[in-house]
Amino acid sequence: MIDTAPSATAATPLAFEAITQRFGSHTALCDVSLAFPAGRIIGLLGRNGAGKTTLLHIAAGLLPPTAGTCTTLGTPSGKLDTPQLTRLGLVQQEGRYLEWMTVRQHLDFNASFYPRWDRDLERRLLEALELDPKRKIVQLSPGDRQKVGILLGTCHRPALLLLDEPMSALDPIVRRRLLDFLLELLRDDGATVVISSHILNDVEKIVDWIVALEGGELVENSPFDTLQESYAEWTLTSTNGALPSTFAEPFVLSRQGDARQAILRVRTSDTEAAARFAAAHHAEIRVRPLNLDEMFPLLTSQRSRRT
Amino acid sequence: MPPLLSIDLHNGVPAYRQLMDQIKLQIATGLLPPGTELPSTRALSAELALNPMTISKAYGLLERDGVLERRRGQTLIVRERPADAQQTARLDPLRQHLTAAAHLARQLDVPPAQAVKLFRELLDS
Repeated sequence: MIDTAPSATAATPLAFEAITQRFGSHTALCDVSLAFPAGRIIGLLGRNGAGKTTLLHIAAGLLPPTAGTCTTLGTPSGKLDTPQLTRLGLVQQEGRYLEWMTVRQHLDFNASFYPRWDRDLERRLLEALELDPKRKIVQLSPGDRQKVGILLGTCHRPALLLLDEPMSALDPIVRRRLLDFLLELLRDDGATVVISSHILNDVEKIVDWIVALEGGELVENSPFDTLQESYAEWTLTSTNGALPSTFAEPFVLSRQGDARQAILRVRTSDTEAAARFAAAHHAEIRVRPLNLDEMFPLLTSQRSRRT
Repeated sequence: MPPLLSIDLHNGVPAYRQLMDQIKLQIATGLLPPGTELPSTRALSAELALNPMTISKAYGLLERDGVLERRRGQTLIVRERPADAQQTARLDPLRQHLTAAAHLARQLDVPPAQAVKLFRELLDS
């Protein structure tokens, strides 16, 4: 049963239940179940072809799933009606626009559909993103086209904002301003933001939750803090004898180095694990946490490691 | 606003932990004396460009640890603590640094007496 009570909508703006998506013989998503609580910024990670864009398209009602249910703002995503759509924002990787219009005309055109369109926000975003509203869409650079997509997807102050690789063509200064703006939406409106991006340095500045897909399967759904506190690099220096060439402990994900010194990538939430490991292997140990760039290959290869 | 909080979002240490450590250090060094009001979650989130969840988690844990306390009107202030707790609070950050130094000394095979002598020299310089 889908609970459409307003309170449930407010608490869980987006939920996937056993979603499978096939394109011909290709399975893009396989049995994905996920619920996003309100007021979070969720980083959606995965390698190319992992199913991120498909998941966001299903959420926005652009694609009916082969199987399963997606509930967006309390409604099955295929049945989103006008009032709900005005609370949803989608910024696509390569948005399609009305090319002959100027930026100004396009903004006015979109604004006419949204009662909550925020002209003040629009003015501030044009300024922050350094986009000239007098220019014709057709003449814009890839970066400026992305800025148009961001404005069109956010000026109506959506309760749920889906961003698919929204800043790949933006420079670091504009990206920083965009991140600040997303935090503002979260602070002022309690909006829920799902952001898919390969610019991990940016993602790790704002997200509080990480979802990872691998080959269409959900492989991670955890608070970012928890991941930061469980993934680590251990540098092991032998104090007595040679280190083994492989370690049997299941939390050891990779090993580099030689018999005297080894560099391990590990995942364990046990804070005493490092000390015990060092004692067991007669070694000194130095522990360093991993940033998201370093975590990414480990996060997105969990299924292939298991098999 | 606490003076000069600086969070490195790329070093892998959760931002809420960095925030906790820095606020504790500022209290220990006297930059934030007891009774000082902390900025609201909202204000600090805007100031540091951090997710508000991060701030409320750090504040919540500092409150739980008895470092901060909530006054009527929901403002958080630095709590007055007994002298021995203050002493521990001062030694904690130093212990963290020296643990890393001790590790390095053992790796480099520097004899303990020599390491202690070096630390004394650094204290006097």
